[in-house]
Amino acid sequence: MSEVTTQTPRYIEAVNAALRSEMAADQSVVLLGVDVGAGGGVYGVTRGLCDEFGSRRVLDTPIAEAGVLGAAVGAAMAGLRPVVEIMYMDFLTVCLDPIVNQAAKLRYMTGGGVTVPVVFRTQTGAGRSAGAQHSQSLEAILAHIPGLHVYCPSDARDAHDLLIEAIRLDAPVCFIENRRLYGKRSAEWEREPLPAGRARVVRSGDDVTLVTWGRMVLEAEQALDQIGDELSVELIDARTLVPLDGEAIVASVQRTGRCLIVHEAVTRHGPGAELLAKIAEDALFDLDGPIRRYGALPTPIPYSPGLEAAAVPGVAGIVEAIREVARG
Amino acid sequence: MSAALEVTMPRLSDSMEEGTLLRWLMRDGEAVSVGDELAEIESDKATMVYEAQAAGVLSTAVDEGTTVAVGTVIAWLGGEGAAGGDEPRAAGRADVTPVAAQAAVAGAPAARNGAQSELREPSKAVRRKASPVARRMAATHGIDLALVDGTGPDGRIVRADVELCLAQASVPLDGGDATGQAQSTPDTTATGGRGEVTVHSLTRAQSLVAQRMSQSRQQVPDFEVRARVDAGPLSAMRAQVKGHDPAEVPSVNDFVVMAAARALREQPRSNGSHRGATWELYGRVNVGVAVATEGGLIVPTIFDADRRSLGEIARATRDLASRAREGRITPQELDGATFTVSNLGMFGIDGFSAVISPGQAAILAVGAVVPTPVVRDGAVVPGLLFELALSCDHRILYGADAARLLTRIRELLEHPIALLVS
Repeated sequence: MSEVTTQTPRYIEAVNAALRSEMAADQSVVLLGVDVGAGGGVYGVTRGLCDEFGSRRVLDTPIAEAGVLGAAVGAAMAGLRPVVEIMYMDFLTVCLDPIVNQAAKLRYMTGGGVTVPVVFRTQTGAGRSAGAQHSQSLEAILAHIPGLHVYCPSDARDAHDLLIEAIRLDAPVCFIENRRLYGKRSAEWEREPLPAGRARVVRSGDDVTLVTWGRMVLEAEQALDQIGDELSVELIDARTLVPLDGEAIVASVQRTGRCLIVHEAVTRHGPGAELLAKIAEDALFDLDGPIRRYGALPTPIPYSPGLEAAAVPGVAGIVEAIREVARG
Repeated sequence: MSAALEVTMPRLSDSMEEGTLLRWLMRDGEAVSVGDELAEIESDKATMVYEAQAAGVLSTAVDEGTTVAVGTVIAWLGGEGAAGGDEPRAAGRADVTPVAAQAAVAGAPAARNGAQSELREPSKAVRRKASPVARRMAATHGIDLALVDGTGPDGRIVRADVELCLAQASVPLDGGDATGQAQSTPDTTATGGRGEVTVHSLTRAQSLVAQRMSQSRQQVPDFEVRARVDAGPLSAMRAQVKGHDPAEVPSVNDFVVMAAARALREQPRSNGSHRGATWELYGRVNVGVAVATEGGLIVPTIFDADRRSLGEIARATRDLASRAREGRITPQELDGATFTVSNLGMFGIDGFSAVISPGQAAILAVGAVVPTPVVRDGAVVPGLLFELALSCDHRILYGADAARLLTRIRELLEHPIALLVS
């Protein structure tokens, strides 16, 4: 970390620092995206990088996601290590093809002839009245595609470590940030770095296992503070959906016998369904009650603040869901 | 009774206003499926075969040869024994007011389901609802779920309920707990050739023991190997310990538990269990020690007995036994044993064979230490012997295995210094 301040870095600063250190260490790391260069990114994530590394390594692109991502994939095939930004995860749909049909598959289809070491950075996060087309959590779509890795860091420390790992990986990684986490500092910056594919036990418990990722980890912690001594809940941050630390999650449920999966994505056909199936396959005879999921309602996310709060999981809803799982 | 579906005279052509039911093709009481040919109907233009649009038991409403207006009820399709509506049976030329056509042709789902209920398989016998982990725990401990009260949603049996059941097995008979479970009160009396008969319902604890002993004897092909152990070295050691610290003298049984644990660690198959198509071998050596309480037989577990010192085993056993007698034992302490030691020596019994605990490979029965003449260096001298009887499950332990285990236990007991040196 080139800039040491008295306080530990915020999420956005951790991402910035990871990009800076990797760009300094490896000339082939380049950034692309709308307003990432001169503007420093719409949220300030890439601030200062264009000044430091120049506009040939930090490219401002037109608002043309399919083309931009196609360029990134091509650049990766040609030997660069691009980190391309999709400003809002909702725009994934405009540029799915380069991700799904090119980046994910070309290494296989060329028998290893090319690798595509690209990082697709994006951010998600409802709760700010950004409307239905700027609030979605679509990690399930990406996790479903073989060949893609999906990282969902929940705090500054993980954002830093996982982004570095993503850039160094020779495979395409979808790096999913949350803009409502950008301003937050890690509760524990000095902890041991964990690699992708390893979940983190945020709090230990014996009665219920709560698995989540991304911003919902913070919401879940607040919910556990509210629950207090009423129940002993083990909170697990899955951190990466692909690769997933199924072993750690299953081991926890085998001990507690009860499981709640929380995510900001819509529950229906959501990422939680995969976890639930996996846990049920491996731990069915250790379950004391049904596994439950708590995610967003199956509706386009409303613009109205009251309706949005009702549609997207929150602390109160998590508290209620924990109690429901504990009851059976 | 489920509502019967009305079958009405269909409009078979645009101009048709009335039709004649020429012939019924199915009989009253017959089960009709969708598509079955129900009747021949004559319209102004032609005679057609009318196919059933719904399913059910047929109950005709008009006689053959009767002419009725389109929309008039000609039959009902109902559930078993459906008798249809109260409309008078139409015969000959109908002056019957046409009944408002119901959705006979569309086939109301409700009636269809009612009719099809006859086709479903007979419902299975009621199965107690239990969570997967509760079910597995009950199976492991040989507990019949019918004995367990469920406190989960809809009366589902959850893990805590099975654990409570295990714990209640430790409540003494005249402890008289609040639920009244412990009391074995006579239900009825009668007089006959064997004198007055008083009938006692089994307590939960007694039911469990009966069930598990039965299961063991029925399912386990057991065999027994016996050995007599020279208690001389043991007694000498105990005398030494007593001289050193009279308060904490390990009993003969404590030595047996320790020797057994050590031998089990050396012979992994004896620390296992036969399960269907597999043998399960356990990584920890947990010895259950049978304790007689007024409430019945309790077997608390000494966990990792192979890694405990003699003193630790002695203290743990005393603590568990006293708490078992007071009914203060926890479910975890009654669970997890991989082997059992049962001792009737204190009752003056020379030797006996014990019943293998379901889920374990063997059980060791210990008799009393008895002064006995023995042969040493060709001469008959007084000795101190006690009998060990090892009952084994022949599905996992064979004769040689049993012999090896028992002789090793004897060897350790006859050279107890080996037990103190780990």
